Amino acid sequence: MGTIAAIHEKLVSKQVSCTELTKAYLKEIENANGELNAYVCVTPDEALQTAAAVDKKIAAGEALGLLEGVPMTLKDNMSTKGIDTTCCSKILTGYKPIFDATVWELLKAQNAVMLGKTNMDEFAMGSSCENSCFGGAMNPFDVNHVAGGSSGGVASAVGGNIAAYGLGSDTGGSIRQPASFCGVVGLKPTYGAVSRYGLIAYASSLDQIGPITKSVEDASIVFDAIAKQDKRDSTSLGAVGGETYSKLTNDIKGMKIGIAREYLDGVRDDVKAAVLDAAKVYESLGAEIVYFDLPVLKFALPVYYIIACAEASSNLGRYDGIRYGYKTAHYTGTHDMICRTRSEGFGEEVKRRILLGTYVLSAGYYDAYYKKATDLRGTIIKAFNDAFAHCDVILAPTVPMTAFEKGHATSDPIETYLTDICTVPVNIAGLPGVSVPCGFNEKGVPIGMQLIGKSFGEATILNAAYQYQQAAPEKFTDTKWGVKL
Amino acid sequence: MVTREDVENIALLSKLFVPEEELDGLTKSMQEIIDFADTISNAPASAEGFDNINNLSNVFREDEVVPSYPASEILKNAPEQAEDHFLVRNRE
Amino acid sequence: MKYELVSGFETHIELSTKTKIFCGCTTQFGGEPNTHCCPVCIGLPGTLPVLNREVVRYAIKAGLAVHGKIAEIAKMDRKNYCYPDLAKAYQISQLYAPLIIGGYIELSNGRRIRLHHIHIEEDAGKLIHRHGDTYVDYNRGGVPLIEIVSEPDIRSIDEAKEYVERLQQVMRWVGISDCKMQEGSMRCDVNISVRPQGSEAFGTRTEIKNMNSITNIARAMEYEYDRQVDLLESGGKVVQETLRFDDATGTTSSMRSKEDAHDYRYFRDPDLVTINVPRYEVEQLRAEMPELPDEKLERYTDDYGIPEKDAALLTKYRNISEYFDKAIEGVKSPKTVSNFIIGQIFRRVETEADKEVFAVATTPAQLNELVKLLDSGKIRNNLAKSTLEKMLDTGKSAADFISESDMGGLDDNALLELCKNAVAGNPKAVEDFKNGKAKAIKALVGNVMKNSRGKADAQAAEKKIIELINA
Repeated sequence: MGTIAAIHEKLVSKQVSCTELTKAYLKEIENANGELNAYVCVTPDEALQTAAAVDKKIAAGEALGLLEGVPMTLKDNMSTKGIDTTCCSKILTGYKPIFDATVWELLKAQNAVMLGKTNMDEFAMGSSCENSCFGGAMNPFDVNHVAGGSSGGVASAVGGNIAAYGLGSDTGGSIRQPASFCGVVGLKPTYGAVSRYGLIAYASSLDQIGPITKSVEDASIVFDAIAKQDKRDSTSLGAVGGETYSKLTNDIKGMKIGIAREYLDGVRDDVKAAVLDAAKVYESLGAEIVYFDLPVLKFALPVYYIIACAEASSNLGRYDGIRYGYKTAHYTGTHDMICRTRSEGFGEEVKRRILLGTYVLSAGYYDAYYKKATDLRGTIIKAFNDAFAHCDVILAPTVPMTAFEKGHATSDPIETYLTDICTVPVNIAGLPGVSVPCGFNEKGVPIGMQLIGKSFGEATILNAAYQYQQAAPEKFTDTKWGVKL
Repeated sequence: MVTREDVENIALLSKLFVPEEELDGLTKSMQEIIDFADTISNAPASAEGFDNINNLSNVFREDEVVPSYPASEILKNAPEQAEDHFLVRNRE
Repeated sequence: MKYELVSGFETHIELSTKTKIFCGCTTQFGGEPNTHCCPVCIGLPGTLPVLNREVVRYAIKAGLAVHGKIAEIAKMDRKNYCYPDLAKAYQISQLYAPLIIGGYIELSNGRRIRLHHIHIEEDAGKLIHRHGDTYVDYNRGGVPLIEIVSEPDIRSIDEAKEYVERLQQVMRWVGISDCKMQEGSMRCDVNISVRPQGSEAFGTRTEIKNMNSITNIARAMEYEYDRQVDLLESGGKVVQETLRFDDATGTTSSMRSKEDAHDYRYFRDPDLVTINVPRYEVEQLRAEMPELPDEKLERYTDDYGIPEKDAALLTKYRNISEYFDKAIEGVKSPKTVSNFIIGQIFRRVETEADKEVFAVATTPAQLNELVKLLDSGKIRNNLAKSTLEKMLDTGKSAADFISESDMGGLDDNALLELCKNAVAGNPKAVEDFKNGKAKAIKALVGNVMKNSRGKADAQAAEKKIIELINA
């Protein structure tokens, strides 16, 4: 039974009140956050207010939705009205949005109990969570290792049982990679399945919001709740492939699971072994493994960085100390004020990506970089479409390695970018991808694998992931932290 | 070749200051990243082209007035304001 | 050496849709600062634009009005630059695939000023500078604009003035903007260069930005033409730069500084999707378009024989021409209607603003009825004129002022009676006439006209009177 269902049962059977449950989570956050550093902002008043409302419903004998009263968290790049939303950047210190992100509106309407906002790499740029102005979030399996990024806070909180589930965002792997590092489930939906309205933008054509959860069943429930078309997002379509929950238990006998050989190149041995092990589990369930080649994968990473940085350089232009956020204390003239504010307010990685993005868009370079990279998106999309003619889902590692040690953040930016090599192609193609734990390294730190689906094929990949979890539950272990249900 | 001057111009366009002492180091790492980005020049040209993910078109809203937010909300997060305007003083 | 003036215009026109281009805030002019705003138009992090359908339709109408080609596929791009009045630090505009390609404005001298293209974009907020401090109001931010870019086909200041006037006229005509330069809903950037007469190559041009009156456009162009010619004649070179015009001194001066680098790094806006314009929709809009001023002018002069000067007055404003078109239905001579409108009705609508609205007491149907009475011979011109004055005073129909007895011709006996009375009652005039003063007959004719309430035929009356006198 998933965490959400377990909580729901406890609430409706009155084993515990929502207020008691919420207080338990808040207490565990207090205990754990010093080491995990998952939360950057805790909201006990709002949480307990919602819990009280849920308890009132239970007392009145009213029916309770699955997500009602379930304590959760949002990554700190999702707008929450009246509550600090900082993207873990100095430049948004104290910023309180005057509106809610659509996903938050949807969950609020279901009485989701938000415990607080969680840690992330600044403006979602990073793969360790250490690019946060609040310091990095740590891995609940081993606090000497990072939680991953950029949704490190959510993954750490969920893995550490100080949130039943959370919403992260994924531009190049930021949901799947920390989920993989922290031994939990992370789903990046198809581009356009979930509204981006209210998500503070990093790269507009790549960003998607998705659930990070303990089990596949939870991810399905949360996805179904948030995948709605939104008039305020021109790129939004909602769940074109329909709801996923009822299809989790479908038999996967005969399902064709493709493995791209390029995906297994350059990953660490323990990761490769764990993924191949998972392939064997699938075979035992009656699925067929099909190997194929996907040579375009080698261009995916530079294509990603060119497009992501270009869009980011434009999206982050608005942070100038005039309408919100940080403003430099001393300056002479508007131009000086804006330059000082941005230089003081942004961290190093953010500045580096803005400069790169400006470069690849600038006159003389636009055609060779941005335009070329955009054209190559078409090539990569076609390559995936061709692959899906021969298989139903693609199995791959999520990350070439397991969680790095604290402070490992290298001075070589390219090496950091290479951690995204398995996740990035999925964003470029706009496809859905879910990471599930599939093993551990010799230190007991989790290894994750990805199931990549066709456009709007969330039901299929969640079905495959669910059946895997049923067959290999030992891969989905718990940590010592947080609330034990 | 990414030059110091390139980096200075890019910084100006991005409205970012690069301290003199960091300029060389930054130029070097920009060069590395651009070399990395240059690998796409070997990639085969795409016959498909790319417009937008999901090939969407004609997403519109109707020309109906929606009440605006009050000035107090609009200015809520302003670091400085005066007479219901956002304010940028000449110097601080 | 004689120098030729070469100029092209970039004109920004605010569309009069109800709401902004990417959000539902009102576009109403004025309003307390920052009260026509929402998270989208002040670019709060996380907000997204959604395109106003009506903006696309208005832009297509503008394109049809200037004989442009409506693109089948159009896209939105980001123009990136940092300025306090631009909330997102980029303006959503169009560069790579604008909505309208080509088009032209035809001038009275027969020359056509070609258009390069028309695109849609959003307006920025308003800055107020006080003692060096900057105050920002985003009410105007997000108001929809079309930008009309001409080719450098303009060759004189008069042509430039006429180009702007015609553009203004046709855009108001099709109802997409009120084009009030003084209110800022129409602004021009003037590109101007000079070259030796007869030369084919273009000289270096300068750009004078944000001109908001035709008078100032003329002054600025005159100053800049002289400045450039003086510079070249003294061996200097014109520097390509952006200028502002100082109203008080009548001079231009450089606007940009080093900080305002020009690289806008245009790229497709990933938050917006493609605009497909199916041909049937273009045809539908084309069918809904009113007959354009230059088409009406041609019809009035060619088909109705109305003098060009009068036709120009009738086609200056859409309301006047539509009034005219209704009033001429079934009449013998539209020219007659034209004369009534220009000769009499125009005196009731003195200002240009009044003429544009053309709210007159008499309806086109009422004027039509009066003219038909004239056509039938039931009343004479003088009576028609005086009746029209009464109609304009009161809003009533001709029938209220013209009785049965006024109508119908004057039979010969009645005419003879009146003439006899005139001769009998005006001995002095008769005496004068007999003594050779030909003009004296007019007083006698006038007497007959007065007593017949305008029904008498003046020529026949004159003939009769002369007969009587000579008898």
